[in-house]
Amino acid sequence: MPAAATTSPRIHEVPDDLLAAIDYCYEQGWTDGLPVIPPVVDRVKAMLAADARPAETVIAHHPATGLDLSLHAAAVNAVMAGCLPEYFPVLVAAFEAMDRPEFNFHGSTASTGGSAPLLVVSGPYADEIGMNSDVNLFGPGNRANGTIGRAVRLILRNVFQMLPGISDKSTQGNPGKYSFCIAERSRGNPWPLLCETQGYAKGTSSVTVFAGGGFCNVENHGGNTPEQVLGSVADAMANYGCITLGQSVVILAPEHMQIIAAAGWTREQAQDFLFAHARRSVDGMKGVGKYRDREYDTQHGEAAHALAATGFVHRGLRPDDILITLGGGDAGGHSCFIPSWSRGRGSIMQHAAITNRK
Amino acid sequence: MQLYSPLSTTPKRKAFRAPPLASIDGLRIGVLENGKLNAEEMLNEVAALFVERNGCTVRTLASKSNASAPAPSNTLVQVAQEVDFLLTGLGD
Repeated sequence: MPAAATTSPRIHEVPDDLLAAIDYCYEQGWTDGLPVIPPVVDRVKAMLAADARPAETVIAHHPATGLDLSLHAAAVNAVMAGCLPEYFPVLVAAFEAMDRPEFNFHGSTASTGGSAPLLVVSGPYADEIGMNSDVNLFGPGNRANGTIGRAVRLILRNVFQMLPGISDKSTQGNPGKYSFCIAERSRGNPWPLLCETQGYAKGTSSVTVFAGGGFCNVENHGGNTPEQVLGSVADAMANYGCITLGQSVVILAPEHMQIIAAAGWTREQAQDFLFAHARRSVDGMKGVGKYRDREYDTQHGEAAHALAATGFVHRGLRPDDILITLGGGDAGGHSCFIPSWSRGRGSIMQHAAITNRK
Repeated sequence: MQLYSPLSTTPKRKAFRAPPLASIDGLRIGVLENGKLNAEEMLNEVAALFVERNGCTVRTLASKSNASAPAPSNTLVQVAQEVDFLLTGLGD
């Protein structure tokens, strides 16, 4: 995206005292409620050196306000989040993906639905920068996971002015609004990695962005067939509080993936099963006041997927609305399901290549 | 210590209001429903009040599939040619 008309980045002069500078950032309203690293000039320049393009290069645009995100502003917020320069290409790729109209980062951030952008980093770059794809996948504890996700939030509030209570009207908020960033696990993954299925050249890493409405732990320590394990996941996906035509993210625990892989199931088979079984009857939907003719017709119209059963509302429109992969620690029958933003398809997941532009 | 501001460097956008209508009697109304639940029904009820009280006519119903984004330019251009004022709702 070419550089737009801009003013020069503003410099704030503060006393030479680190703790006073941290307080200053709070007073300016620049934080997510937690202390930030003061964005001193040298640290911002070091962050910007991770991308050789001009600092004023625009990487995302906010239609609602006309505000732009430049590499410079991204770098300032990345420093504040605690990112190292080598994390910056992930952050840049994430916003390049979020900038697409189909992702609709404004709506998914402003909404009462309270979604937060989930970043799933896939490929060798995740290992190169020390991301976590293992135990405590969603946190806490890993600097790369935690700070890249945090930088996303700081950019949304500081650059695009999506401020809680003012332009972010989330009813309940979402812990993912602090940070929501993971790496896809390659160790023990029987399926092609996301970056491979997304069509990138061998060796290219990617970041997938998804407006995630929450986090649902799916516990199953007794199931020992794919149908039993995925049946419990499908049930979580179809809970009345989450069932919509929207997309889904499912992260399978290694213990669960071993059961599915031992039976020789492909990713596509798992997606088909989940789509077919994550459903509620029309009567059930009417019973809780969530049935809509327009939505049922969309799902069962001309473009209906063959697995969409008459008389049922399924989660999503088709199996490939479900991103499913491996993540988490070796021990524990705990997978997870992350629903999409609110009621429908207002945000569609996107991905972009992570490019080292030093 | 010098700190960079984390805010956008985009100059503040100037926003203008359309000039007010001298009267709404007999004017042509457009309705832009934004896909939100019951939006179309509610906007039509509001339009009906203008019809009843001010002799307006409802000329067109347009839709946008994304309540969170501005209506497509071509939608607004087309509707602007057919109506004197537009009823819509804000979503997100």
